Amino acid sequence: MQRRTLLKLGVATSAVLALVGGATAIIKPGFERGSLTSGGEEVFRAVAIGVLDKTLPDATAAKKAALDALVVDINGLVSALPLHTQAEVSQLLSILNTAAGRFGLAGLALPWATATSAEVQAALQDMRFSRLAVRQQAYAALHDITASAYFSRPGNWALLGYPGPLKI
Amino acid sequence: MSQITDPIKEGLQRGWKVLGGVFGPPPENITCDVAIVGSGAGAGITAELLSKAGLSVVIIEEGPLKSSSDFNQKESEAYPQLYQESAARKTEDKAITILQGRCVGGSTTVNWTSSFRTPSATLAYWQDKFALKDFNVDAMAPYFDQAERRLNIGPWLTPPNENNDLLRRGAAKLGIPALAIARNVKGCWNLGSCGMGCPTNAKQSMLVTSIPAALDKGARLLVETRAEKFELANGKVTALLVRSVTPSVPPPAALNTMSNTAVAPVIRALIATKIIAKHYVLAGGAINSPAVLLRSGAKDPHGTLGKRTFLHPVVMSSGVFEQKVEAWQGAPQTIYTDHFLDTQAIDGPIGYKLEAPPLHPVIFASTVPGMGQAQHDLLKAFPHNHTLLALMRDGFHEQSRGGNVKLRSDGSALLDYPLTDYVMDGARRALLSMMEIQFAAGALKVLPLHEMAQPYTTWTQAKDAVSALPMTPLLTKVVSAHVMGGCGMAGGEKLGVVRPDGVHWQIDNLSIHDGSLFPTSIGANPQLSIYGAVNRLAQGLAKKLTGKDVQLA
Repeated sequence: MQRRTLLKLGVATSAVLALVGGATAIIKPGFERGSLTSGGEEVFRAVAIGVLDKTLPDATAAKKAALDALVVDINGLVSALPLHTQAEVSQLLSILNTAAGRFGLAGLALPWATATSAEVQAALQDMRFSRLAVRQQAYAALHDITASAYFSRPGNWALLGYPGPLKI
Repeated sequence: MSQITDPIKEGLQRGWKVLGGVFGPPPENITCDVAIVGSGAGAGITAELLSKAGLSVVIIEEGPLKSSSDFNQKESEAYPQLYQESAARKTEDKAITILQGRCVGGSTTVNWTSSFRTPSATLAYWQDKFALKDFNVDAMAPYFDQAERRLNIGPWLTPPNENNDLLRRGAAKLGIPALAIARNVKGCWNLGSCGMGCPTNAKQSMLVTSIPAALDKGARLLVETRAEKFELANGKVTALLVRSVTPSVPPPAALNTMSNTAVAPVIRALIATKIIAKHYVLAGGAINSPAVLLRSGAKDPHGTLGKRTFLHPVVMSSGVFEQKVEAWQGAPQTIYTDHFLDTQAIDGPIGYKLEAPPLHPVIFASTVPGMGQAQHDLLKAFPHNHTLLALMRDGFHEQSRGGNVKLRSDGSALLDYPLTDYVMDGARRALLSMMEIQFAAGALKVLPLHEMAQPYTTWTQAKDAVSALPMTPLLTKVVSAHVMGGCGMAGGEKLGVVRPDGVHWQIDNLSIHDGSLFPTSIGANPQLSIYGAVNRLAQGLAKKLTGKDVQLA
């Protein structure tokens, strides 16, 4: 089953996987049955702290609440994607959630949950400007899903100065 | 609670025949005169004309039937409900994000109403290179006239919002002519929410015009039903197989059969229907229409199917102004300039059309590059943001052959569109043109949407920086809202998939009536080009099938 699953990855992704030893790693899905798995959630919470560093609330409790809400919104966003895209997101998160994948794809030595926002940002910047398309694609997916999900919530529109749609 | 009457609800109460999704399962077998795949610009016009000619028509739409009571102007609901792949459809290398409709009315339900006739230079190129001798300005004029009358396409007399006026003022400072865009609206409230479905039914989309006209004449509509494939024998379609669409989030009953793997399995929908018709019209939009033929194993003796798929690849430049722009409000895209199309040869370096798109939170936040403080500053400046887009006229040059439609292992469509150096050279020139206009209009800073760019505060600084940027895919933000080609029309069998009358070169009872017909891109927002071309093809088809002359208006 595992081999069959891996074969569905694109050529470039497979190359990175081989590079990081992904083929032998124990891969758990990052998204299944309409929700991020605990591993997928760990990745996205860290990515959000990096991407939305100055945008999330400062206070610990408010930040936690914002991240909890973001996880709900990411679940909604990813669930609405076609199954083949959900599968890609799931696999990306699976890979990023292994030590080898995290290091090989994101260049992050520390576990997501313990990395600081500066460390996550450094890893994301490295992916963003990488010469490997698969790392750029992974960055774009993480960045766009995080930003889109965060600003899909009307409660977060105040920062944008967006009043919401006109009542009709 | 909205006081707007909902023409779809009223129609359903009058007894429209709609099945699929919440309307109940379609039967196993359906027979009719004509089966039409899709319900967008090409399908809608075809359905109206063929119904008018007295033919029994079945329309098959993959997306849901949503209407003004559902359109609440929220992106988080509109994108998953009304767009292909939740407005996140991407090319194979993920370098281009594609916006395409997927609902009753297709892209016409969610487009920004920009209406242009097919430019004369484009038609001349088709005559010359694709032997389409009857597709000239004069021959097409009556078909455009009728479509314009039917869909209330005309000048938009309300002054442009600041978002569009900045394009007008900036261009004027540089001596660049910028004109008003005609729109297909009736009693428009100037809300600016066109992209999420018109909540007031002012936009004269297929959803509120041609589809209702066809349903009133007895046409049947299957929603949330996907055309899987044609059965083919002896140069004819013998049946169309359709299947109810599997929701992305599977219902609880289906979960029990899912295995616990990283890949969500494709769940086979339970309900399948076989449709037998005298004639079939494929109008699922470029990308999906060629994909239906690929799944059907249609003959492709000259290797043209799914090839030459064009996108008008779009690059964008984001300016910040001292005054508020509030690009979310007011009619979108009411000013344009064709200066950078008209001042160079159509088959020379790629030209581009400039327009000012509307901005809403999700689409804005996902396009603001980067993270941390830099991203935060851009996000906070949203009310002052003015973005210009350049849509590049692809398909007129040896090095602009567009993309190829392929199938994934699950049968879904995938577009491979290589962003060649030729296209990316145009992207750089387009970014420079847009930045110069924004500075001329008084921008405090301008950020071309490229991962390695910074907000620049002077035109000189911006020009130097963008001249040195690596214009490569993924680093350069590229999007598209206009998919064209893939089932190209041509006057010779070797040059395309369909004949000049819209009938497939190898399949006698199959017509293709959507944007996939175009042998190149249009060089303008394509909705009216589809209305005009299909109006002509569908009148011809009605005449062939019934002997009757019918007109839209």
